[in-house]
Amino acid sequence: MAAKIRIARPTKIELARLKRRLRLATRIQKIIKDRLSILVMEFLQTVKESADVKERLQKEYHDAYKALSLSLGYHGYALVEQTLMISEMPFSLHAATRNVAGVRLPTFQMEENREAPQAVYPAENSSLLEYTSDTARKCLSTTVELAELQSALELLGDEINKVKRINNALEYVVIPGLDVTIKYLSMKFEERDREEVARLKYVKLLIEKREAYAY
Amino acid sequence: MPIEQEKDDVIARYLGSELSSVNAQLPKKRKTLSHLLHEEHPRVSCLDGSEHFFRIDELRYLASILEDRERDDLLLPMIIEVHSGRSDMMVRCSRGDEEGAVEAKVFAEVLDMPVSVEKTGVRIYRSQLGAMRRALKTTTQYVFTL
Repeated sequence: MAAKIRIARPTKIELARLKRRLRLATRIQKIIKDRLSILVMEFLQTVKESADVKERLQKEYHDAYKALSLSLGYHGYALVEQTLMISEMPFSLHAATRNVAGVRLPTFQMEENREAPQAVYPAENSSLLEYTSDTARKCLSTTVELAELQSALELLGDEINKVKRINNALEYVVIPGLDVTIKYLSMKFEERDREEVARLKYVKLLIEKREAYAY
Repeated sequence: MPIEQEKDDVIARYLGSELSSVNAQLPKKRKTLSHLLHEEHPRVSCLDGSEHFFRIDELRYLASILEDRERDDLLLPMIIEVHSGRSDMMVRCSRGDEEGAVEAKVFAEVLDMPVSVEKTGVRIYRSQLGAMRRALKTTTQYVFTL
């Protein structure tokens, strides 16, 4: 794509201004490239983590359903249902943000409330129900972790797209445009200087001729 | 020859604002590890008005690495300086002296290898960055410099 020449006044002040702007654009492009590489690195790391957590979550759900079916088989549907109805999981979820290279990502932190009264199980001494409850708690905590990673992935992906567009605009439009305009102006001024030299030489020649005729 | 003065001004304004917004996520004031460990929801305010939260697990992990005296020296978040066109990065030390760089101790423990400590800070390389960020997600932040 041919770069457009953008210029209001073909003056030396304008040329100096354009050169300053080119320097600024080049500096910003360098920083944006760095930011892009950091964001891509973070994105890939989040993808890896997300895959690991997904795998772990699948295993945990598998264990949880297995434990639940065992409990149902041992205690019977009625007792397990009764236990589920009255039992509670005392925890709080704290949602906040963290910053990664200018992108605000959510963080979720599950906190168990140890001071809350413990749930009373009808089948109090059942290790099976306790195990089921533990596996369910693990599942919940991993689901929260996965939610955090998934939303981080989306936000990082959006930001990478945005930064890429800015980088491309600078690389393929703004910087070439400024380069071409600076080149055009420099050539114009050089041409003007050459014309000036030629004009002066011609005037000098005329003066010399006039002086020769006068003698 | 097309004259597009208005468009040109927009680009100039945009370039100026882009440079200032790149590092807007930096904290206004950093806090020590011991201070953050006592907060219920440990966080710092950023220059753009947002808040950066720390994971309690990470703070506890850092506390397990450091001694009591060192917890007062470690300022969080640790700032990783990304220099354009260079493969290495610097992490400025909380204290000036090389010997007592708390950050060096933390990174050496996290990376499980000795790190190079210089007058200006701890030098780390891009290959080490992934491992470090995996362990210290919220307690480190980037700053972009030329």
